[in-house]
Amino acid sequence: MSAVPAMDEASSARLRIWDGPTRMMHWLLVVLIAVCWWTGIQDQLQWHLYAGYAILWIVLLRLYWGFVGSSTARFAHFVRGPRHMLDYARTLHHRDSAHSYGHNPLGAISVLVMLGVVLAVVGLGLFAVDVDGLYSGPLSSFVSFRTGRHLAHLHYQWFEYLLVVIALHLAAVVFYYVYKRQNLVFPMISGSKTVPGPVEKELQTAPFWRLAVGAAIASAIVWMVVDGIYYFL
Amino acid sequence: MSRFGFRRICGAAVACFSAIAAGAIAGPAEVAQIKPRQDKLRDMGGALKAIDDELKKRTVDWDNVVLPNVQTLKDRSGYLLNWFPKGSGPESGVKTYALPAIWQKYDDFVKLGKAMQGETAKLAQVAASKEMDALRAQSLATGKACKARHDNYRSPDYEKENED
Repeated sequence: MSAVPAMDEASSARLRIWDGPTRMMHWLLVVLIAVCWWTGIQDQLQWHLYAGYAILWIVLLRLYWGFVGSSTARFAHFVRGPRHMLDYARTLHHRDSAHSYGHNPLGAISVLVMLGVVLAVVGLGLFAVDVDGLYSGPLSSFVSFRTGRHLAHLHYQWFEYLLVVIALHLAAVVFYYVYKRQNLVFPMISGSKTVPGPVEKELQTAPFWRLAVGAAIASAIVWMVVDGIYYFL
Repeated sequence: MSRFGFRRICGAAVACFSAIAAGAIAGPAEVAQIKPRQDKLRDMGGALKAIDDELKKRTVDWDNVVLPNVQTLKDRSGYLLNWFPKGSGPESGVKTYALPAIWQKYDDFVKLGKAMQGETAKLAQVAASKEMDALRAQSLATGKACKARHDNYRSPDYEKENED
């Protein structure tokens, strides 16, 4: 299944760049990180745990989608070498630089760092120990009390790093909107954007069954981490 | 001397004076309580964790894991209220997450401490019966009793900082 860009009279084209699953994962991650932050500071730790499991599921699915998903979601599509990134960075001050099809080379860094830091925060949370034994991470049984407390502090600390990464991501979105007059948010909502001139690229959409397989794999891993592992002990 | 330098010296002098004054008020016996108190509370947290960890498994080792840790909790909670003499709070100058509210609302603190002792006594009874579901419920009740004290009388900085 693919979407062909349509030309309009003013020689601009409507180009489909993001598929539904990629957009869904992006916005679910936004909502769930906000839920984790809010439930953390409000001491609603049972909900904090549920939201954390959901984030783990999304990150696993996004990693899978990065290998077998639609064309612009694949890591091979946007993760290039440092030279490519430097070349792009040198043109960053140009107001009229070409629109990127999918993530631009610097956006690729943002995606990788974001996924890495989110995974680190979730991973630390899985082993974090709650002193009262009420809301410890599901894998906290595999570490000592002292180690689990240390990991709980690191979980907190790495969440602050994640806030910095989110702030940089938002700053980049604002920079593109204000300085380069490119709206990066709307395409992540609608899936497409209008670009000047004729375009020949088109989104290669992955079939739904691949998403279903990924969702099943991610669900199995999350279940194993949260509960299933104890069936073997 | 610059205004900034003068302020720094004044600040350091005030800090030194405060620390000396706090030490004089607190007394060495009270200050000496803080570190062992933290160690014993950490042992209690470790004991509760060991019980909870065991309850997640399909087979529970009652004799080597659950019962000794329940005993640790029961024994330690019996002395819990002795570990907080007046002067062993932040005013001692020693790093502690114990809030001054402990001594300001001491009756409530004692009430919650006694509730904790009651829950650990019940935990010991339930553990002796070796009933897994009952122990799970009582372990939860014990954790809630701990949390009730921590919510009101422990600094929230505890969650942010590494206590070691």
